[in-house]
Amino acid sequence: MSIKMITEEYVSERLKKGIRDEKRGHFDYRKISIKTGTMPNAEGSADVQLGNTRVLVGVKIDIGEPMPDNPGEGTIITSAELLPMASENFEPGPPSPESVEVSRVIDRGIRAAGVVDTKSLGIDEETVWNVYLDIYVLNYDGNIFDAGSLGAVAALLTSKMPKYDNGKVIRDEKMGRLKTNGISTSCTFAKVSGAILLDPNGNEELFAASRLTVSTDENRIRAMQKGLGGYFTQNELDKAIDVSFEKFGALRSVIKESIGD
Amino acid sequence: MRTILVPGELISDKTMHGEGIIVENGKSYASVIGIYDSERQGFIPLESIWSPQQGENVVGVIDEAKLNTYNVNLHSPYKGVIISKYAEGGLSNGDIIEATVRGLDKTGVAVLVRPRVLRGGKLISIKPSKIPRVLGRGNTMIKQISDYTKTSISIGMNGVVWLNGGDIDLATDAIERIQSEAHITGLTEKIGEMLKSNEKR
Amino acid sequence: MKSDDIMEEEIELMKNGKRLDGRGPGDLRPMSITANVIKNANGSAYMEWGNNRIIAAVYGPSEALPKHTANPDKAVVKCRYMMAPFSSISEHGRPGMNRRAVEISKVTREVFEHAILVDKFPGCEINIYIEILQSDGGTRAAGITCAAVALASSGIPMRDMPYSVSAGNINETVVIDLNMIEDMASDADMPVAILPRNNEVVLLQMDGSFTKEQFDSAMELIRKSGEYISNLQKKALKEPYEKIIDRYA
Repeated sequence: MSIKMITEEYVSERLKKGIRDEKRGHFDYRKISIKTGTMPNAEGSADVQLGNTRVLVGVKIDIGEPMPDNPGEGTIITSAELLPMASENFEPGPPSPESVEVSRVIDRGIRAAGVVDTKSLGIDEETVWNVYLDIYVLNYDGNIFDAGSLGAVAALLTSKMPKYDNGKVIRDEKMGRLKTNGISTSCTFAKVSGAILLDPNGNEELFAASRLTVSTDENRIRAMQKGLGGYFTQNELDKAIDVSFEKFGALRSVIKESIGD
Repeated sequence: MRTILVPGELISDKTMHGEGIIVENGKSYASVIGIYDSERQGFIPLESIWSPQQGENVVGVIDEAKLNTYNVNLHSPYKGVIISKYAEGGLSNGDIIEATVRGLDKTGVAVLVRPRVLRGGKLISIKPSKIPRVLGRGNTMIKQISDYTKTSISIGMNGVVWLNGGDIDLATDAIERIQSEAHITGLTEKIGEMLKSNEKR
Repeated sequence: MKSDDIMEEEIELMKNGKRLDGRGPGDLRPMSITANVIKNANGSAYMEWGNNRIIAAVYGPSEALPKHTANPDKAVVKCRYMMAPFSSISEHGRPGMNRRAVEISKVTREVFEHAILVDKFPGCEINIYIEILQSDGGTRAAGITCAAVALASSGIPMRDMPYSVSAGNINETVVIDLNMIEDMASDADMPVAILPRNNEVVLLQMDGSFTKEQFDSAMELIRKSGEYISNLQKKALKEPYEKIIDRYA
C-alpha cells in the first residue's frame, strides 16, 4: 500500500520561502529529453523523459473509412494508458477518467493547431489513413500532459507513411513522412498553496487545488483545460498564458533537436 | 574471494544459514542477488525485502486509530501496530512516527514500542538493502550529512527516511546518491566532497 | 477495415539450412537486458530480443488487496501481460486485454508462483507487469525472461531464475526462437520456461506437429539456448555491482 511521503504543510512552507524541489523557479521546467524512433515497428515513436516522468508515444497509421462529416479526410485517434508499472497508485483495468482526460487534452492541442495535415490523408472516397496516437506512461512523477504532448508531436513529426497499393497496406515500403504543419506545445500549471507552478512534479500534484494546461503554437492559443476542484483568477490565467507563449520557443527547440531538424 | 551470485546459483556444497540462502539436499543456493565471501564463508544480500528484526528502528505513518491499537503503514510487506497504552498522549491518523520493533505477533504484524511523533518535514523511500550504507559504519555517513546540512534525519530500517529543516534538498540528494552509488568505493569521502562543494555555493 | 496480409503468399522459411533472417536452426536472435529502468517500481528490466522490446516491472510484496484475495499462508502473485497497440509491425492493435493476453498472464503468473519463495510473505501480493512495446514473435518467452530479471533486481527471493524460449518445426527441421513470420507459418510452436538449476519445466505450451523425437530434440535445443539466456540474465544483474568486487579485491 502506498504511503504519503510528503505533507501539504511541508510543500506550502517551502513555497512561501520560494523553494521548489530540484531548486526550480515557479516557471522552470525540469530537464527534458526526447528520443525518437525507439520503436521501429510503429510508424513513429518518441520516448520522453521529463524529470522522473517517462512517457512513450507510439504512432500507427492504418487505412479506414472517413468520418461521414469529413469525407476524404483522415482522423487522429488518441489514447493514453496510465500503466500500473508507472505508479503504485495506478490500477490496471479500463481507462480511468484521468487517462481519458489526458488523451483528450493532448489530442485537442494537436488537432486545433493542425499539426497533422488530415486533408493529406484521403486516399479515395471510401478510404482514408487514420493516425493512431498512443500515449504510454511508463513512470509517473507529475505532468503527464506536457510529457505526452511533447512525445506526441515528436512522434508525429517523425512518422513515416506506409504504402497503399490496391486496397492493401505495405509497411515495408514507406512513402515519405506523414504530412505535418508546424508544431504545438503545451504548458501545464498547478496551483499549490496559492502559488502557480509550471511543470508540477508528483509531490506537487498531490496537493494541487487546480490545474491548467495551455496549448499554443507560435502566435495562438490552441487548447486549454482547467482541471481539479479549485479555481484560477483572471490574473492567474493571464500569467499562465503569457508563460506558455514564452516557453513555446524552448519547447519547440527540444522537439526539433529530437527529430534531427 | 568475493563473488556476486544471483537467485539459483550455488553458494556452497555445505548447508548454510542466513538471509537470502535456500538449502536443498544439503547444498546452499542464493535466493537473492548477493556477495559470497569464500574466506568468511558468508553470504551478504545486495537486494532484499525488509523483514522486521527486534530492536530495529522504523519510520512509518499512522493509518488507523482503533480502540486499543494504532495501525502503522511501514511501506513494506509488514504492517506495524502500536498498543495504545504505549503511546503517551495518543496518536492521530497521518502522524509520522519513529518506533522500535519489539517483534512479530502471530499474524505477522510488527509490534512497535516507544513511538515518537516526527513533526513537519518529509519522508523519502530508500531501498531497505541500501539503508546500512546510508547509515555508514558507526553512523558516520548519516552524521556527516546531518552535520553539514543541519537537517534532522530519522532512518527507518524499513527504508523510510524522515528529514526536516536545514538544507533538506541537499540532504535528500546526498541520500539518493548513496542509494544509487552504494557499490562505489570511498563513498563517505565522495559524499563529504559533494556536501562541501554545495556549502560553498 | 482491411488487415495487412503478410502471409498471403507462401514463404520459404528455410533455404540451404538458413532461415529467412540468416540464422541456422539452433541460433537465437540477438538479445540484451538492462535491469532497473523504472524508477518507481521495486524492480524492473528492459529487454530487446530480436525486434521484441519489453519492459517488466515489479511492485510489492505489499498487503494483498482487496483483502479477500489474500492467502494467509503465502504471497499471491498477480501478473499482467499486455501488448501495446503500436507494438506490431502490422495494424494498430485493440487496446486492453484480449483472451490471448489473459491466458499468457495466467501461465506467466504460474511460472513465478513456483519460482518465487511465496511462503515468505503470507497475506501479501506481488505484482508483475509485462508490457510488450514491440512484438516480433516469442513475446511470452521474452516477457518471462525479462520479468525474472525484474524480480531478481527487486530482492524478492526466488528458488531459481526462470528463462523462457520457444522451439518450432520448419519443414521437419527443429528450430529455436521463432520470429513472427516463422511463428505464423511454421508447423509447430512450443514456448517453454525452465528453472535451470534442476531443469524444472514451469511453462509448456505447444501447437502444430512434432514427432516424439522432434519434441526431444526441441527440448535439447531449448536447454542449450537456455544456458546462453541465463548467462545474459545474470550479466544484467551483476554488471551494476561488479565494482563492489573491485573494492573488496
